[in-house]
Amino acid sequence: MTQQALRSIGRLPARALAGAMLLAAMVVVALSAASLASTDPFSVAGPALAAPGGPHPFGTDDLGRDVYAGVIHGAWSSLLVGFASATCATLIGLAVGGLAGIRGGMVDHSLMRATELAQAIPRFFLVVMVVSLFGGHLWLIIAVIALTAWPSTARIFRAQVLVTLGRDFVVAARASGSSDLGILLRHVLPITMAVVAAQVASQVGAAILAEAGLSFLGLGDPTVMSWGALLGAAHQTISEAWWIAVFPGVALTLTVLACNLLADALLRDR
Amino acid sequence: MIKGSVQPRLAVAASVWLCLSGCSSGPVPTADPITLVVSQGGDPGALNPAVTTSGNTHPVTDQIFNGLVGLSHDLSPIPELAERWAIEDDGRSYRFHLRKDVRWHDGVAFTSDDVKFSFERALLKYHSRTRAALEGLLERVDTPDPHTVVFRLKRPYGPLLQRLDVVEASIIPRHQYQGHDLLSGEPTRRPIGTGPFRFTSYSPGDRLTLERNPDYFRKGLPGVDRLVFRILPNAVTAVSALEKGDVDYIGSVPGPDVARLRKSADIAVVPSTGGSGGSACQDVLIPNLTRPPFNDVRVRRAFAHAIDRRFIAERVYFGQGQPATGPISHLLAWAYTPDVRQYPHDVAVAGGFLDAAGYRPKGNGERFAITFTHASNHQRLAQVLREQLKAVGIRLDLQTLDFNAQVEQIFVKKAFDLGLASYCNGADPDIGVRRVYVSSNIGPFPFSNGASYRNARIDALFDQGTAVADRAQRTPHYVEIQRLLAEEVPYFWLIDSEGLRAHRTAFSGFRLWTGAFVEEVRPAAASPPR
Amino acid sequence: MTVSPSPWRWLLGRLVLAIPVVAGVTTLTFVLIHLAPGDPIIALAGDGGSPAYYREMHAKYGLDRSVPEQFVRYVASVARGDFGYSFMFQLPVLRLLLDHVAASLVLGFAALAIGVSVGFGAGALCAISRSRVLDAAVRSAASLAYAAPVFWTGQLLILIAAAKLGWLPAGGMTSARETFTGVAWFGDVAAHLMLPALTLSLPLAALVANVSRAAVVDGLHDSYVRAMYARGLSRTRVVVRHVIPNAAVPVATLIGQHAAEIVAGAALTESLFGWPGVGYLVLHASLHRDYPLVTAAFIVISSAVVFFNGLTDAVVAWLDPRMRLT
Repeated sequence: MTQQALRSIGRLPARALAGAMLLAAMVVVALSAASLASTDPFSVAGPALAAPGGPHPFGTDDLGRDVYAGVIHGAWSSLLVGFASATCATLIGLAVGGLAGIRGGMVDHSLMRATELAQAIPRFFLVVMVVSLFGGHLWLIIAVIALTAWPSTARIFRAQVLVTLGRDFVVAARASGSSDLGILLRHVLPITMAVVAAQVASQVGAAILAEAGLSFLGLGDPTVMSWGALLGAAHQTISEAWWIAVFPGVALTLTVLACNLLADALLRDR
Repeated sequence: MIKGSVQPRLAVAASVWLCLSGCSSGPVPTADPITLVVSQGGDPGALNPAVTTSGNTHPVTDQIFNGLVGLSHDLSPIPELAERWAIEDDGRSYRFHLRKDVRWHDGVAFTSDDVKFSFERALLKYHSRTRAALEGLLERVDTPDPHTVVFRLKRPYGPLLQRLDVVEASIIPRHQYQGHDLLSGEPTRRPIGTGPFRFTSYSPGDRLTLERNPDYFRKGLPGVDRLVFRILPNAVTAVSALEKGDVDYIGSVPGPDVARLRKSADIAVVPSTGGSGGSACQDVLIPNLTRPPFNDVRVRRAFAHAIDRRFIAERVYFGQGQPATGPISHLLAWAYTPDVRQYPHDVAVAGGFLDAAGYRPKGNGERFAITFTHASNHQRLAQVLREQLKAVGIRLDLQTLDFNAQVEQIFVKKAFDLGLASYCNGADPDIGVRRVYVSSNIGPFPFSNGASYRNARIDALFDQGTAVADRAQRTPHYVEIQRLLAEEVPYFWLIDSEGLRAHRTAFSGFRLWTGAFVEEVRPAAASPPR
Repeated sequence: MTVSPSPWRWLLGRLVLAIPVVAGVTTLTFVLIHLAPGDPIIALAGDGGSPAYYREMHAKYGLDRSVPEQFVRYVASVARGDFGYSFMFQLPVLRLLLDHVAASLVLGFAALAIGVSVGFGAGALCAISRSRVLDAAVRSAASLAYAAPVFWTGQLLILIAAAKLGWLPAGGMTSARETFTGVAWFGDVAAHLMLPALTLSLPLAALVANVSRAAVVDGLHDSYVRAMYARGLSRTRVVVRHVIPNAAVPVATLIGQHAAEIVAGAALTESLFGWPGVGYLVLHASLHRDYPLVTAAFIVISSAVVFFNGLTDAVVAWLDPRMRLT
């Protein structure tokens, strides 16, 4: 399984490599935020609306908070939301899709109808409604994004399961009494690794965008600095201070771009 | 028109394609009628001012309707629908003599029946502030003849007149509303008033248009022909529209824009001086006095010293407000006194009080942690407070909710350590100050005495403050109230907010308090010399 | 062009599929909004309100009943076509929704038109020109445009086109001062539409460019296209008559798949530009606990997504002779 994954990474084209490196760089930034920007992103560090340069490389916002510190610390919350909700969504999707594919019949039918139902719900509106009703807690945002993101993974994985079930070695494994779970983990998952990884990558990007959208609307977690929140605040002062909008936007776009490049490459190359 | 607005928008879908390439020909302004455009943040919805306190409805309806009395710039009552009045029976009854030359916009004559109807069927049922004030006070409304109304009270009540202006008690037409639902019936969509402007059309989410009432009882008013309210929910859009001259007036100026607008020769930035209803507001932190740590007055004093109000006024409010000195806003000048115990920003003094109360710093320098429950529009304030309190060893955990849930959490469930509310003092301390401190108003309902403060002396002083109508006799009671409260600090008074408005200098004559603020507006060239 | 033997049966199937979706969304919305903290009467009462006032208003709006009872009453009135009155506006919900849906449709279709034409044009051009430089440029631009959130690109457009250059209005749907009628009104709306439609069209154009590029490349290598060359048909003719129409199929499919995303992007764009559409309405209604308005808006949005999916399926079937309605 690992070998297969490694081999597929080895075959990645330049764009995928760029995506992977960009994402890795963002993860490094997020993990070492405290040492990269020692200023608390919430603390008032200078005059209000100071232009980039000097002690504030990205300028300050309307409260005098350092935008550079905001962008660096924002990486952590954005990536946390992205990876946590993508992981949860993938696990749910794999479970539903795997179960439906391998059991077939009524289980398959009812699970797939439920999946279609879940897919038809306008996701972003649901997230907006739940968060505006129950408050913007980071864990709630992660949970709601995850609970609305699993259907596509479920459908893709189910299709993969159906294809794989017909193969000789799976038929043989079944005949020799392997359990359904065993077959899924030992035989189906390794072959579909690239597809699942692509799915995770694109969901990380989508979740980061969703969180940023929420924070932009002022519904994000107020105790956590995030790129979306910076962009939402930037809107108030856009004609006075372009820097509050530009830097977090660049960071957000590059991160999502990295996820998309990676997802594309993994799919194309399977 | 509400009805008419649906079809044209649908029709755009088809035509916009054709237009995208071709018709960029700009707008052709029509010169003749004088039009004043006012920007407004939200939809006014149903247009019945007697059943709502909504800050989106009243700026519109207050130009269409009238109250029995008006309020002058110092909030003294002046004649409006009532041309004169007399206080009789030791302050237990108010006799109003109505103008005889007033007609509704549909031509029907205005009479005392309309006043009685407005109070009994609308104001005392659905106008939440007027109902709260008068339901235990007003015995009945008599109409001895078509041009006389007598309010009979259960006990003498001085500040009644301040409660009878167009914001607190708009008079609506009985003949229009009979048989209709007062909240959402047909007349709420085609309001008929007595005021300076008549309703023309309303397209939700877009604009509402009024036109000059040529038969207005104040001759020569209003000074503009057309009044358009543009719904611009986005403050940035509203400010840029003002700068470009697309709108003439905005009711509130976003902090970051104040300095830039002040520099413009075409724009005047002016302070709101108050008014009835939602005015003279104070942003106040509400400690929960029913549980530790705020049940200890030493902790409250420490807390008051720990807050840097000046910094908050400058950075969070962008100067749109002054550091509060006590429980009454300085805008309520006749009742206000700054001569009470003060709590200047001083970390050392705050620390001393906390040590004395037994809250000593632990290993990490932290003394205790409390949760601050606040609405999402106060996030900036919350973050600044967290910073300031950290310096004295208090950890502030933030609980940000949307406005509605936050109100419920603080006032209804009372499940909070520290909350925040904007208590508007209104035209009289009895309207907006009393409710915050008297024990009979502990709740549980929104904007009651959120801290659950009880003090029999304070309760008695508030009652004494309203027994007479003469302000000079009332002031000493309110001064004593402020002194007592400043000693006990049952709330933390942060900021006396002073909103800023801005208008194009092409027009002048805006009233800077709530109510009929457009009545006297004229093009600047045509305005009479002052 | 072959149409399925029974389009009516297909339509019926679509409707049957839509029913559980709409029912599910209605129930979910209703339950969530009633479980959430907050009381819609607070918005009505403002900073006044006595206990008696709250009691009476709860009774007037049926909020004093149990949630299941409220649900039954709500479903019964919706079945009669009555969506009730909005708390926030005190206007009939249906009228408000129709008004805002129209604005959203204008924005959505304008963005779709720009996105599809620009994206398809760029994608097809890349595939046909075989220029590596052009190809790399378009692909990079598309990747960036797809990754950038609309509320950021929108701000940049406002900054450049409205704040600095003053070319286009940055918000609202019509001019603030003038009230236009007739052709001038359409011109006015079109000017206000430009920036939000452009903003919303960017990620769409990116998607469409990628897919149409791939589809045209595939088309050019298709065996029957090669056969046409062999028969001596000109390259232009083959491309215009066969390759491009065939490439339209995956593009239509793609737009259908991303319907929900487009609707979400539209909501954020509306919020940024103050465009009076459904997105703006839902956001404000949720924050004010406007139960009737939020629930009805959700029904409309989810129906729209289902309808939009169905519509793209129909377009695909119409475009592609090999496909049948299923």
